[in-house]
Amino acid sequence: MIELLRQLARTPQGAAGLLILLLLAAACAFGPAIAPYGPEHIDFLGRFHPPGARHWFGADQLGRDVLSRLLTGARSTVPTALAATLAGTLLGAVIGTASAYLGGRWDEIIMRTIDAVMAIPGLLLALLVVNTLGKGEMNAAIAIAAAFAPGMARITRSVALVARRQDYVGAAIARGERGTWIVFREMLPNVVAPIVVETTIRVAFAVMLFATLSFLGLGAQPPASDWGLMVADARPFLHQAPWMIVAPGAAIALTAIGFNLLGDGLRDVLNPRDER
Amino acid sequence: MSALLDIAGYSLDYRTRAGTLRVLDAVNLRIARGEVLGLVGESGSGKSSLAWAIMRHLPGNAHEAGGAILLDGADLLRMRPREVAALRGRRIGMVFQDPSTALNPTLTLGRQISETLAHHRGMTRAQAWQASLEALRHVELRDPEALMRRYPHEVSGGEKQRVVIATAFAARPELIIFDEPTTALDVITGARILALFQRLRAETGVGGLYISHDLALVSQVADRIAVIRRGQIVEQAAARSLFVSPGAEYTKALIEAVPRPERRLVADLPGTQVLVSVEEIGVTYGRRQWFGRRQVAGNRGISLSVHAGEILGVVGESGSGKSTLARALTGLTPFEGTIVQGGRRITAPAQMDRAYRSQVQIVFQHPDSSLNPRQRIGEILARPLRLFGGSPAEVPRLLEQVRLPASYATRFPHELSGGEKQRVAIARASAARPALIICDEITAALDVSVQRAVVDLLLALRREHGTAYLFITHDLNLVRQVAHRLAVMHRGALVDLLAVDAVGGAQAHPYTRALLGATPAPFA
Repeated sequence: MIELLRQLARTPQGAAGLLILLLLAAACAFGPAIAPYGPEHIDFLGRFHPPGARHWFGADQLGRDVLSRLLTGARSTVPTALAATLAGTLLGAVIGTASAYLGGRWDEIIMRTIDAVMAIPGLLLALLVVNTLGKGEMNAAIAIAAAFAPGMARITRSVALVARRQDYVGAAIARGERGTWIVFREMLPNVVAPIVVETTIRVAFAVMLFATLSFLGLGAQPPASDWGLMVADARPFLHQAPWMIVAPGAAIALTAIGFNLLGDGLRDVLNPRDER
Repeated sequence: MSALLDIAGYSLDYRTRAGTLRVLDAVNLRIARGEVLGLVGESGSGKSSLAWAIMRHLPGNAHEAGGAILLDGADLLRMRPREVAALRGRRIGMVFQDPSTALNPTLTLGRQISETLAHHRGMTRAQAWQASLEALRHVELRDPEALMRRYPHEVSGGEKQRVVIATAFAARPELIIFDEPTTALDVITGARILALFQRLRAETGVGGLYISHDLALVSQVADRIAVIRRGQIVEQAAARSLFVSPGAEYTKALIEAVPRPERRLVADLPGTQVLVSVEEIGVTYGRRQWFGRRQVAGNRGISLSVHAGEILGVVGESGSGKSTLARALTGLTPFEGTIVQGGRRITAPAQMDRAYRSQVQIVFQHPDSSLNPRQRIGEILARPLRLFGGSPAEVPRLLEQVRLPASYATRFPHELSGGEKQRVAIARASAARPALIICDEITAALDVSVQRAVVDLLLALRREHGTAYLFITHDLNLVRQVAHRLAVMHRGALVDLLAVDAVGGAQAHPYTRALLGATPAPFA
């Protein structure tokens, strides 16, 4: 693990990605503590205060400090997106590996179902899930996980099909192992590398999808300082106080870029062909 | 006499993450005009690296540490890329190990060979097409006109290799490098390719560097043989004298390890009790499609039985259904027919319960893929123990049984050599003390010296536990050393089942005799 991080830091994308993610992690861990103001501290005299010494990133329509809200909001935005992606990845990976292991008719049924689900755009699927389960952060996370699982299943299956043909799987079958053991212990560990790379890239999508859901009023609810919600709140004041939308927008973009870079770096490091 | 190719003190390093690795160390070799030099070495000895160094096509991390490679007096190392490009294919040709990857799958065979000719001999398209036809006819291919219009996947492996050879010879090079040209082919096909090579060589007087791991085979084609080990030339001598009086210890060991059918390794007779018998086993590959069915027979109506403590050799060319039989016996593929074991009749993989599995185990061909790369050796070996009622504490005993130190339990498979991995696979299969172990080409991926050690290990296990083996192999010399009986397979069917000393006899099937005739005999 340490060795992996060291190799990662050696690639330029990996190093940049790691740096951004460290900043994000710091914001998640210590955000409320280092924020100059409370996230819901209202100051009517300081409404729409432009960025400056008093409010580094400006203040919003209620005079709340944008920087403080960003730092506090990191805690609800980034971990939720991460958790949603991990849940979706895990579900997809298990389905994909199981499908590759079962093969034949089962594979056909599972994959055609997944094709059908994938025909629905991710956002639409997420909207559908949230509408069924009701608003809220938790349900938004479930919706994102549900939207990600089919794609992950497809990717995992293609890798798992190669693992399925390996002799160690044959040896396990010849030994009389149960299907669950073969899927979880023999095959899954060997398809992890491409999944990890794909996951990091998907986290970026999850942050944006989560922001979109919040923006549409289906994710986090006011007065939470979720980044997507902040963008939604700032929309009416776009011309009056552009910093209100620029700051959370930039934060979302930075997160997406950070995870994307990390994914690129991981792809290079985990590629076994580059052994020399 | 001036040498065609003169390699003088050539050294080559690969720079890896772990440091610099010397693959060729001060190699001195000379090939005279019209001479064929055999280069014999085990895997990792640097023989292929030498071939690529001559072709001037080395990987990016290669570093040439000195020496010279002179073709007709001109140093290849000092040539500009342009001059080298003019040389490749034109003056130095190359024939690769695997004909299926040496040809471009998206171009017709005719296009590939005629383009080479047009490029190297400055012909027009029509001329090159005619010359290609001639070249293909020359390598004894039937109906070259039709063949020229086909794609590589539409012809057999032997035909592909003939096309590759025709292409290499058609440019009329002075030197041809053969990198294990028959290893990927069947014994019979390989023997024919070898005969073709002999004929073309006599006709064209081309010089050759023939690279192989198979000492017996090289002795048939080469005038002189050089033995390479860890990048160093150990010995070089005329083919005949190398075998009669090898100088270096390593050469002696290599010659000693070549399996000789007349030297039996098993003396005792098998028991009379039938362990496992199969009745009319059939396997079909290919899946049902929406419209109609396209299926290929893997096995057809095979019946045979294995007795207690018996070594039953199963031989045949690749694609003859040997491995399919192994897969059916271990329930890895659906089959028709019946397997009888311990008084029970099994007609489907689902009926193979723990009792059957603990009695019938399998070891696969490729040591690299048969061990899960993410599990430690200890975990790999503990699993069958746990399944079949042993305790993980027995892992050291299992390792010791296959002559590996107990400390290997904490290692990962990639930290082991190919031979060591195969030992672990054998330990895993024998963990439950099965009555029958199916060995599916377990020595094919190993070097001769390692191969011998693995076979010795199998025989030692048999002495201790009385294990019977279904020994699947394409190496007739090896199997004749160990097997009690031989089952000969051809195109999915069992054509012959006979005692091992009757193989050359009159009652043997014609195919069995053809197979025997094609096997390169180790010089007497």
